[in-house]
Amino acid sequence: MKKHSVLLKEELCEGCTNCVKNCPTKAIRVHNGKAMIRDELCIDCAECIRICAYHAKHSQTAEIADVSSYKYPIALVPPSFYGQFKGLNPARVRVALYELGFKEVIDVSLAAEALSRKTSEFLASNPGIYISSSCPVVVRLIKILYPELTGHLIPFKAPTDAMGEKARKDAIAKGVAPEDIGVFLLTPCPGKNTNIFDPVGIENSPIDKTIAVTQAYQAVLAALEKTQDVAEEDLPVPYLGLGWGQSGGEVQLLHEQVQDYSLSVSGIHRVRALLNELSRNNIKGVRYFELSACEFGCVGGVFNVVNPFQARSDLRRLRAKGKTMIEQNEGYDFDLPGKFEPLQIGRLDGDLEKAMEKLTQLEEEIAVLPGLDCAACGAPDCKTLAEDIVTGVASRTDCIFLLRKQMGDLAETLSALLYELPPVMKKEKTDGKVG
Amino acid sequence: MQEQILIQSKIEKGDFTRGGEVSSSLKDILRKLGVPSDTSRRVTIVTYELEMNIIIHSLGGEITVLISSEQIKVIAEDQGPGIPDVEQAFQPGYSTADDFVRGMGFGAGMGLNNVKHYSDQLTVETGQGKKSKFIASVYF
Repeated sequence: MKKHSVLLKEELCEGCTNCVKNCPTKAIRVHNGKAMIRDELCIDCAECIRICAYHAKHSQTAEIADVSSYKYPIALVPPSFYGQFKGLNPARVRVALYELGFKEVIDVSLAAEALSRKTSEFLASNPGIYISSSCPVVVRLIKILYPELTGHLIPFKAPTDAMGEKARKDAIAKGVAPEDIGVFLLTPCPGKNTNIFDPVGIENSPIDKTIAVTQAYQAVLAALEKTQDVAEEDLPVPYLGLGWGQSGGEVQLLHEQVQDYSLSVSGIHRVRALLNELSRNNIKGVRYFELSACEFGCVGGVFNVVNPFQARSDLRRLRAKGKTMIEQNEGYDFDLPGKFEPLQIGRLDGDLEKAMEKLTQLEEEIAVLPGLDCAACGAPDCKTLAEDIVTGVASRTDCIFLLRKQMGDLAETLSALLYELPPVMKKEKTDGKVG
Repeated sequence: MQEQILIQSKIEKGDFTRGGEVSSSLKDILRKLGVPSDTSRRVTIVTYELEMNIIIHSLGGEITVLISSEQIKVIAEDQGPGIPDVEQAFQPGYSTADDFVRGMGFGAGMGLNNVKHYSDQLTVETGQGKKSKFIASVYF
């Protein structure tokens, strides 16, 4: 089964190891000159897509053309989407989306506002430290690299999932046949696309397809040309919920008392630095963490068209128009069916004793390797190569320095052998006299 | 399984830039060994606090972490100057850290308290002017 959404265009990959070195979970190795992803380690953070100068890493979603393959297509519009249109009235953008064939266009911001209220209530009655589980990449990162922190993930569905479920349920209640419904999310990131076949915290995704902003953008612009503006009261906008499209927006909607004990961190490498501190219990006085894998939050997603600085600024201005939340609380089911479970990935062996033996081998390999972390072997650093050697997927000669040393040793042996004469030639020189 | 060393590292007095390095490496090792995440978390916190204790309060020392089938044992030994009143040192909020250390966000007086809280067994050998030795065990 496909476990992630980031893909490789092999013909474009130069095998340069930039992505290998920048991957937060060390999921990429260059093999045969191509940057291959280890499926079980990929969390779809898209860092490799960002850093690849050859555009070899990419991701695929559905397109606007796929909307017509359902009789009753529903568009879920995440808050960050409105950061793509120079601050244009969100209701106007929704009109354009109807024009593209959607039967319903629904703001995920509504669910975001409802979730904010629920989170505030939850934190008031549940002591302890909690981490937002709305960014699926953060959830996957924690499950893989910080299994000890999975218990701190707040046990709620992300607004996109809760909204998707509600939208489907509402449509069925209206009499729409379930098989006619197609729920589309206009996604800013590959992480949300992965949710379709590998959802976090729930069994089945309520979303059928995602369409990347890049795929939808031009069609939306064209539809804007064709449509008229709309009065705000006809299509109310959950302005405050739009804040969720950027880092800090989630915390801003929590009760004031909770806000004072909350922290927003964005960007996968900074999120990792924070989780490192959190796992050693070294952050005090914070009860709630809003973590986004993308810098600046969802407006920083790789599928966006507009740069994150512009999008953030435009979204902030839109949010400022909001006075109060739209109190829509009915029909959402935010509670997860179970708990977030850690994933045991990266074990040297299933058996502790054998794993200890491999750990000793690992230390021996690390001692032999040069420690330059040059990545010319295709692994991100010497320690990771050592791990690959011990687990049998790489060999010492993958290291060009060790290979060179071996060749030097071999040349020395060869040259020494050269002066070793065969026995027949080893006779003492005589002066020509016979016996 | 025989008791084996997982990690052994010298720690310099006042070396804040390396503070947390031992516990970070240890956490990584425990993940590779497949140690249950709750056990790993407790061992990591205990190690971190003992590491910082050596950096902040001692003249330098060493951390050794051992593993066996039953437990993970963290041993922190330092070169003194010793703790005159152990009971007081374990009181939450009790701290002898100076302003510089507190300014860096450390020395809130929860360190040793955390060590006790997160370990299953703890022994301390110390005294005024003596070297200190902490042995903290976390059982599987």
